[in-house]
Amino acid sequence: MNDDPLEARLIARVQNGDAEAYDALVSKYLRRVVAIAFSIVRNAHDAEDLAQEAFVKAYQSIGRFRAGASFGPWIGRIVTNLALDVVKHRTKFRHEEIGEAQPAGRRDDAELPALQNDLAARIDAALEELPEMQRIVARLHLIEELEHAEIAAVTGLSDGTVRSHLSLARTKLKAKLADLYD
Amino acid sequence: MTEDDDFFARLRADAAPLRYQPDEATLARIRARIQERIAPPPTVAELLAAWFRPLAAAITVVAILAGVGLASIDTGTAAPVDRVEIVAGGETYVVGD
Repeated sequence: MNDDPLEARLIARVQNGDAEAYDALVSKYLRRVVAIAFSIVRNAHDAEDLAQEAFVKAYQSIGRFRAGASFGPWIGRIVTNLALDVVKHRTKFRHEEIGEAQPAGRRDDAELPALQNDLAARIDAALEELPEMQRIVARLHLIEELEHAEIAAVTGLSDGTVRSHLSLARTKLKAKLADLYD
Repeated sequence: MTEDDDFFARLRADAAPLRYQPDEATLARIRARIQERIAPPPTVAELLAAWFRPLAAAITVVAILAGVGLASIDTGTAAPVDRVEIVAGGETYVVGD
């Protein structure tokens, strides 16, 4: 349910063909959409491209957007799906590289904003070792500070599955970072 | 707060530097690209206008320059006639200043 009447009016204007009204929606959600994409793909350039793609895709399907719904979870879901596609493509690509038995540099080098921070770097490395969905859910929860329901909305997972991923991630992170948090 | 919640709360605080925060210039660039991609395509009339507007402007400039040039040639070659002398029957008549 959309509690923001201004946003509801903007969506109605966009649905009536007002492309300029869309800029206000983009401005409201862009920072968060880029951050969600970055949490998943771990590359600033890809995250920015994905955010752009997500907003264009959302605009093209705005006619199907349910009146009264909130735009945030919808655009979050779109960018998450696009980012997961990129991650799957990379995984496939890496498997093919291993199959070819030829060493190759990582194509998806993350641009970590705080590698000089040892503690953050340790946490980042521990998160990277988690299985894919646990890692994504844990990053959205810990770094982007999304709550369970928000993570469920943007990933399309059930609330229970999100909690389960977080619980497993917590156990593993506790073990990996035991020397820091005991 | 349970021990698990406390662990995540501490982890959240320590992981804060890992959050990616694009700067304003980056956000503005993405917004501009989005606006560019969703802008409606120009109509035939707009396309024609886009072609003809500079052409019409160029023709107008040429016409103005030609007009100004002709006017300056006219004024440059015509000798000023301030005084006319007429001689008739040994007498000189002057018309003008």
